[in-house]
Amino acid sequence: MMLAEISITEPAVIGLVVASIQFATLLYLAALGETISERAGVLNLGVEGMMAIGAVVGYIAGISSGSPWVGLIVGSLAGAALAGIHAVAAVGLGADQVVSGLALTILGLGLADFVGDEYTADPRRALFENVDFPVLTDIRWLGDTVFNASPVTYVAVAIGIGTWFVLNRTSVGLGLRAVGESASTADAAGHSVTLVRMSAVMVGGALAGMSGAYLSTYVVGAWSVGVTAGRGWIAVALVIFGAWRPGRVALGALLFGFTLALQLRLQPFGIEFSPILVSMTPYLLTIIVLIVISYRARNQPSPSPAGLGKAYRREER
Amino acid sequence: MSRLVLARREQVVRGGQPLAFFVGLVFALVLGAVLLVISGDPVIDTYQRMFERSLGSADVLSTTLNRAVPLALAGLAVSIAARMGLWNIGAEGQILFGATAATLIGRIGADWPGPILIIAMLIAAMLGGALWALGPGLARAELGVSEIITTLMLNEVALRLIRYLQNGRWKDPEGFGFPNIEARPDQAQLGAIWERAHLGVIIAIAVIAAFAWFVNRSAWGYELDIAGASPKTATYAGISMRGKVLGVMVLSGAIAGLAGGIELTGTAARLSENISNGFGFAGIIVAALALMRPSGVALVAVAFSAVQVGGLSIQTLGVSPAVSAIIQALILFGAIAAVVFSTYELRRVERKVAS
Repeated sequence: MMLAEISITEPAVIGLVVASIQFATLLYLAALGETISERAGVLNLGVEGMMAIGAVVGYIAGISSGSPWVGLIVGSLAGAALAGIHAVAAVGLGADQVVSGLALTILGLGLADFVGDEYTADPRRALFENVDFPVLTDIRWLGDTVFNASPVTYVAVAIGIGTWFVLNRTSVGLGLRAVGESASTADAAGHSVTLVRMSAVMVGGALAGMSGAYLSTYVVGAWSVGVTAGRGWIAVALVIFGAWRPGRVALGALLFGFTLALQLRLQPFGIEFSPILVSMTPYLLTIIVLIVISYRARNQPSPSPAGLGKAYRREER
Repeated sequence: MSRLVLARREQVVRGGQPLAFFVGLVFALVLGAVLLVISGDPVIDTYQRMFERSLGSADVLSTTLNRAVPLALAGLAVSIAARMGLWNIGAEGQILFGATAATLIGRIGADWPGPILIIAMLIAAMLGGALWALGPGLARAELGVSEIITTLMLNEVALRLIRYLQNGRWKDPEGFGFPNIEARPDQAQLGAIWERAHLGVIIAIAVIAAFAWFVNRSAWGYELDIAGASPKTATYAGISMRGKVLGVMVLSGAIAGLAGGIELTGTAARLSENISNGFGFAGIIVAALALMRPSGVALVAVAFSAVQVGGLSIQTLGVSPAVSAIIQALILFGAIAAVVFSTYELRRVERKVAS
């Protein structure tokens, strides 16, 4: 790395922050969905597949209707529909969550390629435009970065706050967390474990689908095979990094978003360092965090939902 | 009011579990056909082409056998870990790093005689795969860190390591500027045994047979099953859980790594990001469908290989090759349903309305 030649210019810094926020939004939506699912006790490793299906369906709905908003909503519905398969297999039928989730990724990527076959290299676009706030957007620095993002970024923040509120301040959230910690106890307390878990998985799928649709209506702006590029796995990592809490997941999303942005934007700073090595950081950071959490957890309870990954059958409890 | 619940059958349907794979296959082909009809593709022609180009002649059958090798070894790696309740989701990364380690030996021993070089490369591949699984194994054994996530993360790291090497140190100077890694030495090519099939097929069969015996007949395999069924019982019986966890993860990684080495010396001419083709992930599905049994893994791997090889041939009909991935995933979901419904049935239960 040639440190002596680093040049920090205003456009380079702003460009980096803008790109970080874009990627953070992408990761946050999907990770928030996975957080909801995992807090209810269901690991879903199908994020990459749900993102892919959200991306292709969102793109098609967007260009067909001419509105990126329609793309975002329909993409979310597609993600939820795909997640429904995991809900039936892993929750309804009690199949292993790891196997079902991975098969969902394979299915989602395959279906996305199949559906999107004719839309690769399609020149049509349905793109979100950046929001122009009165006054706020005119602030120097902040106006160029925080207050001039795509509307989806603000939607993601709103959903994040909403998720925090529902999880921590409502009876629905309490029920969901109870189901994730101890399904049999929640069942005894009158919660329908199956209903809560299936709903959580589908909401999680909707958010992963929304993340994918955001990819094809803003970040990349088009559909192509492999457009999700492993970012679904980063979202899975992010949930652990953020200790299953919406607020901490948001901070993690900014950090991981920064590493994704940095890969693309090392050059404007005159830094000669391999962007490919930078791209390894989210995965390595997650492993380190997991080890630190576990090392500490010798003395304190793990932040992981106690019932995560365990299928529940009432008669077998 | 009434509702549907899943209740245990009074009599479990016999053969439900072993036959689940075939139920899944039929389920997948039927749903696949529906999908083809919706998109206006020819159903019969597509399936016929897939069959002909994967199992229909000695030439294509030998290709299918070659591709079954990494699928079977990845499936074996996953199933051995699963026997004691561990999820090795990192077979993909272990295959990639195994192939990377083998490539390193290929560079060092470029002028070694073929057989010696191949053996050295395959050993390096196993060591590489083992090394890639060592970290998750240690973290799980010492601190109880979930191996699911650590192995998953290392897949992405291994992929990027290869991307790094092909753009940097190992870039082929005669690659006309394309980011390709230099081809492995020509003499490091596994010999042919039948048509296109190479020695890797024999190696895979030998490894699977050895493990089928080892897991089912040896004391070590018995301890593995005890440790998987009940860690407490195992500890009480004097089995070291730490040692077992670490040993099994490293062994699992070595088997996956071997798959990477065989791909490099058998089918591929050089290391690349695509050398694994998702074999590690498909291997997990293969292992699950084979109910974690080594002999079943081999059979399911050949079937999956046929779907994959056949899937590559339908592009000329104007059908998306993604049909292959869809069918593979649907086989699993169909089989899940088959396994569950052989033990359970849907019952309509009257619910009393609270008064």
